[in-house]
Amino acid sequence: MTRGERTMNSTMHAIAWLLLLSLVRHLSALSVTVTDVECVYEYVFYEGDIISGNFVVVDHNIFWSSDHPGLDFTVTSPGGNIVHNLKGTSGDKFEFKAPHSGMYKFCFHNSELTPETVSFYIHVGHIPNEHNLAKDDHLDPINVKIAELREALESVTAEQKYLKARDARHRHTNESTRKRVIFYTFGEYIVLALVSSLQVVYIRQLFSKTVAYGRV
Amino acid sequence: MLKLKAVILTVGLMSPIIVHSMLFDLQSGIAKCITEDLMSNAMTIGKYSVVNPNKGYPLPDTHKITVRVTSPAGNNHYYCDGVDSGTFAFTANEAGDYMACFWSQEHKPPLTMSVELDWQSGVAAKDWSKVARKGQIDEMEIELKKLYDTITTIHDEMFYLREREGEMQKLNTATNSKMAAFSFVSILVCLSVAGLQLWYLKTFFERKKML
Repeated sequence: MTRGERTMNSTMHAIAWLLLLSLVRHLSALSVTVTDVECVYEYVFYEGDIISGNFVVVDHNIFWSSDHPGLDFTVTSPGGNIVHNLKGTSGDKFEFKAPHSGMYKFCFHNSELTPETVSFYIHVGHIPNEHNLAKDDHLDPINVKIAELREALESVTAEQKYLKARDARHRHTNESTRKRVIFYTFGEYIVLALVSSLQVVYIRQLFSKTVAYGRV
Repeated sequence: MLKLKAVILTVGLMSPIIVHSMLFDLQSGIAKCITEDLMSNAMTIGKYSVVNPNKGYPLPDTHKITVRVTSPAGNNHYYCDGVDSGTFAFTANEAGDYMACFWSQEHKPPLTMSVELDWQSGVAAKDWSKVARKGQIDEMEIELKKLYDTITTIHDEMFYLREREGEMQKLNTATNSKMAAFSFVSILVCLSVAGLQLWYLKTFFERKKML
């Protein structure tokens, strides 16, 4: 690798870092950029597993513009069919049963120009059922109950993560509102003072000596 | 032309039986970052590896990645250059967003590789086999201990959420009172500016002997 190439890479790295630091907000988040799709893959081992999760979109740069219309969320099965589809949402929960085992694709699509940050959580839950019990001698029936309990606690944890993400977004909105209130109010004061002084200057100018001579 | 896109990804997976990992695509030259929100004093373990496109053959050099893990303050916790797999583990001393960034060398034509990441924290990150060996506890008791730890974590999270809600309420009431104060001051500013204008113009015309 030549020296020039190395410095170019390090500059790019530095710029990437700056870009990242400017885009990072609170929470675990995924930032989907310009008309782009971000996909995450998860392997589902058993057919019939329940895939549950949630995602929350955190708006960026809502200082001047209106609310972002939201992202599109699609889940594609290993066969290629779309299992779950949500359009233009700013956050939702989802839960469905996996029809096949294999690699599932979870995609977020951003149709706007502004980058967005998405906080998501995906969980694939498996409960060993009676069929597996008959096959495996080591599987105690109590393990099934423990697995059910574990899944129930998982759903509570998922709900908490969702609430945490929503709280982060709410806080972001509130802080933005606060900044906007202060900015707009002081802007209003300045504009008012400016406009009235301009009025005074204009009136002064109207009654200046050149005009007065005309009167006289 | 340098094209840069910063992408931040999330991880939040817990599965005691099967090791669940998340796969994402990494394009050459474009950095992708994953942030995980960790509580203070939480153990965290992250295992990453680049998926080999050609099974059986060694991974080409173009598929080597750079990994860096930073704390919310910006301190470096882990840095590895030119690797295709590895593990990072540390205890989070402060609560916040920990960011793991993945980056590979720029390549023409742009190369896309799959990176597998398994990032666990809290209950799932604890070394349960060590606990089992130390106390000679059987499997079921381990499962129940895990559940107990999960419940404790949930309880702590509830406290955290309640705290955040309190802060939010304070922020909202502060904004509300600020808005009321500013509106009142706005009326005063308006009236004072109008009064100043009138006074100034009056004195000006009196000076000019027009009034």
